[in-house]
Amino acid sequence: MKQFEYFSPKNVVETCALLKEFENDAQILAGGTDVLIELRKSSVKPPRAIIDINRLNELKGITETESEIIIKPLTTHTELGSSSSIKKHARLLHIAAHVIGSPQIRNRGTIGGNIMNAAACADTVPPLMALDATVKLLSVNGERIVPIIDFFIKPYQTIAIKNELLMEIRFPKLLDSMKSMFLKLGRRNALAISRLSVAAILRKSDSGLIQEVRIVPGAAFPKWQRMTEAEKILVGQKPSKELFIETGKRVSEAMISFTGRRWSTEYKEPVIAVLVRRALETCQ
Amino acid sequence: MKKVTIHTSVNHKHYELEIKPNLTLLSLLREELGLTGTKCGCEVGECGACTVLMNGKAVNSCLVLAPQIDGQEIVTVEELAIGNKLHPLQESFLNHDAVHCGFCTPGMLMSAKDLLDHNSNPTEEEIRTAISGNLCRCSGYQQIVDAIQNNNVSPLKG
Ligand SMILES: Cc1cc2nc3c(=O)[nH]c(=O)nc-3n(C[C@H](O)[C@H](O)[C@H](O)COP(=O)(O)OP(=O)(O)OC[C@H]3O[C@@H](n4cnc5c(N)ncnc54)[C@H](O)[C@@H]3O)c2cc1C
Ligand code: FES
Ligand code: FES
Repeated sequence: MKQFEYFSPKNVVETCALLKEFENDAQILAGGTDVLIELRKSSVKPPRAIIDINRLNELKGITETESEIIIKPLTTHTELGSSSSIKKHARLLHIAAHVIGSPQIRNRGTIGGNIMNAAACADTVPPLMALDATVKLLSVNGERIVPIIDFFIKPYQTIAIKNELLMEIRFPKLLDSMKSMFLKLGRRNALAISRLSVAAILRKSDSGLIQEVRIVPGAAFPKWQRMTEAEKILVGQKPSKELFIETGKRVSEAMISFTGRRWSTEYKEPVIAVLVRRALETCQ
Repeated sequence: MKKVTIHTSVNHKHYELEIKPNLTLLSLLREELGLTGTKCGCEVGECGACTVLMNGKAVNSCLVLAPQIDGQEIVTVEELAIGNKLHPLQESFLNHDAVHCGFCTPGMLMSAKDLLDHNSNPTEEEIRTAISGNLCRCSGYQQIVDAIQNNNVSPLKG
């Protein structure tokens, strides 16, 4: 492994000062399940300083207010998956946490690392986007809160600057009338074309009509986004298989209009359509 | 490169170590502490051969930076047997023909131990989930699942 200096600051102030000191040459270390793999690649220029944030207790834990869930970035996928608040108020995120990697990866990997690494296949991102989450960032220059929908530029690139620390992730609890689902196909290291996922939230009125719907595919677009065009055809309608099939088609058309037809389209086009249909059918 | 001093417990033994920071927990165990029971396979978190318990939870030691175990408790496969007496889970692996080439076995045992420490009577599905991060090229997994399911030990020692 490359050489670097190792720091494990004890509080946020110290951390921000170190990040400032090393500017673009510092790398934050959380669970390390992405960072250690990077550090071992011979092609990647190593950082001068590794800043391990695991001593920062203020970056741990899940809390809830009357209307919101607040997740601190060092929460592991195991903790996320076993939280009763998440299960009750953000079921799709609960499901996503359970299908990440392996038990060993879930025991170390954190939600903060998942977001900040910004891989196209990051499984917590589509649910968080469907949940209308915001992220809070901190640096010596101060704090800012950004809707997650505006946070990503492209795979592996976010609007965060190198010395910003992710402090928390926050989103409104789903109402009892909002049902949700996360479905994923394929493993991270499987051939890239086989990786696709869908996060969906569906809200029905007492009379059974669809009042609101949010659909966010994962690993399908160059940048994560809500499927607003496809969502529109559902609102005010009675849920039906035909309608969900149609929605799936719209999503796959939207995907193709973005990425163009390429060698993987033949596979992705029907698969994303089916995933969308199934996610909508199984929202609960 | 500046060395880092860490205080840690490995198999219930306390260590104060001065280490280079660019070391994984896996290399620390194998190369510095001579604990070669933990195996080095892919070194990218895929195979599970390097699985150890960190604060009671299964982790890939190839993905933990050695300085990160400061103040933490590590348990490796060496902790299972007492002298020449195998741990009942190890006996069960032998009795069920779950050890072929044996390369995956230490990691499998540690993932199984994490499971059984928290759930003494797991279902087959729970067992398969618990070892889903451990690859075995030889056995086809069924013998391993049987060995874990029919280990007649609870709670586990260690
Ligand atoms: C075998 C294997 C399987 C995997 N499977 C999946 C999968 O199925 N789905 C999936 O989504 N991911 C998967 N991953 C990827 C990885 O485990 C996750 O992305 C994980 O959530 C990363 O979290 P971490 O804490 O380990 O991040 P780290 O590796 O510690 O950090 C990742 C990045 O985030 C930055 N960072 C971390 N925390 C902060 C913070 N608070 N503020 C600012 N920057 C920060 C780091 O500097 C680094 O750039 C897998 C990885 C492996 C090795
Ligand atoms: S060597 Fe660590 S998972 Fe393969
Ligand atoms: S026994 Fe050979 S890899 Fe499992």
